[in-house]
Parts: sequence; structure tokens; C-alpha cells
Amino acid sequence: MDTVFKALSDPTRRRVLQLLRQRPMSAGELSDHFAVSKPTMSAHFSVLQNAGLIEAEKTGRTILYRLKMSVLEDALLAFTDTLGWNWKTNWKTKPRDDVTRRQKLHPAKEEV
Amino acid sequence: MPAKSISNYLPAGLLLVGGALVGAGWYTHPHRVIFWTIAMLLIACLATILFFISRSSTDDANALRAGVVFAGLILVIPLGLKLATTLGAHDHADISKRAMMAIIGAFLMFTGNALPKTLTPLSVLRCDPARAQAFQRFAGWTWVLTGLALAVVWLALPLHLADSLTFVLLPAGILIIAVQCARLRWSRHSAVTASHN
Repeated sequence: MDTVFKALSDPTRRRVLQLLRQRPMSAGELSDHFAVSKPTMSAHFSVLQNAGLIEAEKTGRTILYRLKMSVLEDALLAFTDTLGWNWKTNWKTKPRDDVTRRQKLHPAKEEV
Repeated sequence: MPAKSISNYLPAGLLLVGGALVGAGWYTHPHRVIFWTIAMLLIACLATILFFISRSSTDDANALRAGVVFAGLILVIPLGLKLATTLGAHDHADISKRAMMAIIGAFLMFTGNALPKTLTPLSVLRCDPARAQAFQRFAGWTWVLTGLALAVVWLALPLHLADSLTFVLLPAGILIIAVQCARLRWSRHSAVTASHN
């Protein structure tokens, strides 16, 4: 459960999970939504996979990521997302689709 | 050799306690032979399953172990409460039925919770993965909420009301999932037909 909480504690990873709620996506498709480097995104995917929240499956030459969340984890995501948005972002600033506020302010310190 | 945690012994322990309770129940109510025989056979079946998966630690084996734990709880708690009533420990005759139905509600929650986590490999999936995922999530949430409602109804409401509501809740849960499944299939069929035209 620790790994799940760790995975959900980061806004980028939460956004990845929200995107995967729509449909399975490739690493490239997911990375397009974020202004972070590929190794950073790869590390985020790795954390999510270790927590058992997503699953990677190779189809042809691409790797597709799929959501693998239980109902409890899904509820936890919604809960932490609500709290996380209130805690970590300025509530007057609508969170952007692509970049989290912290990454905009400190692009050099991409925390994983 | 790593030490086994106490949860490893839980399924077997529950079956042992269940067997003891069935024996005690048989002694106190000897006229209900068929009921006690069926309970004993059930415990024997569960013990056989446990024996065959005892060395396995695959996901399937763990799922079976969880099933044995729930089956054991469904057996042990009502039988224990029934025996306590017979021995005069408490005078709430309906408590064993309430406990059993609440455990069944918890079991529905448990299975519903795990439903979106069971993924079919994309290579063998015959429908749109996005639709399959949406359906699994919807079915999981519906099943969890049905189980939660069932447990709450049996723990909080009068017995006659809980009895009636069970016949509403369970079919409603199944119907909602079936309708959603049909809706997804129908919309896919429509999309395929439209693309051919």
C-alpha cells in the first residue's frame, strides 16, 4: 500500500492515471501531455507500474499502458487528487493539462 | 526459511474452527442432520482446495485463498453466533442471519473491488480496449456499491425491510451491469455497421 500512496502523491503521476482512464495509451501519447523529459516520464511510469496501478503491454513496436486500478485505488486517486489540487496548486490558477505548477516554476528540479 | 505470517494460516484456521462449530451444532441440534452434513461436506471441499494450492503463490492461488477465507467467515461467524444463542450467551436470534448477509455484502465489495484489476491481454481482446476498460470500471464500482448497500441494509435496518431490500438491491446491481454491457455492445455494433456503410 505504501507504493500506491507514493505513486499517488505526485501530481504528474495522478494526471497520467487520469489520462489512462479515458483509454490505453502509448508512452509517446502520454508524454505529449507533459513538458518533462522522456527519462523523467519513464521513471514516473516505472513508479506506477511498481505500485500495480498501470500495466505495460507490447503491441507491435509500441508499448501500450493500461489502467490497472481497483475500485478502492480509483476512489483514493479521486480523493488525493482533490486534496492534492488544493494543497499543492494555487486554487485561483486552473491546473494546466500539460505542466504542473511546480514543474513550471522549477523545471530543473523534476522530482520523481 | 522465511517465517510465515499469521495470515498464511487464516484459511486453514477458519476451516478448523468451522469444523469444530459444525460438530458443536450437530451435538446441540442433532435433528438437523442434512444441514450439518452439507456444512461438513463444504468444509471438506474447501480443505481439499486449500491442500492443492498450499504450495502455490500465483495470483489464481491467492484469489482462491481469499475465496476460502470468505467462505470460512460466512460459515464460522453465523455458526458461532447461533451456538452462542443456543448456549444463552445472548438473546438476539436474528444476529447470525444479519452477520452472514453482511459478510456476503463484504464479499461482493471484495470481488467488485478487484474486477477492474483483472486485465485481458490486448492480443486476445476482441473489443475496443477503451470500452472494455470503461465497462470493467463501471461493473466494479456498481458491484462494490451493491455490496456496501447490502451490508449496511443488513446491519442497520429491521429484518423484514432488509429481506425485501435484498431482493431489490442484488437484481438491480446485476441489471445495471447487464444493461451497460448491452449498451456497449450495441454501440459497438452500430459503429461497425456505420463504418461498413
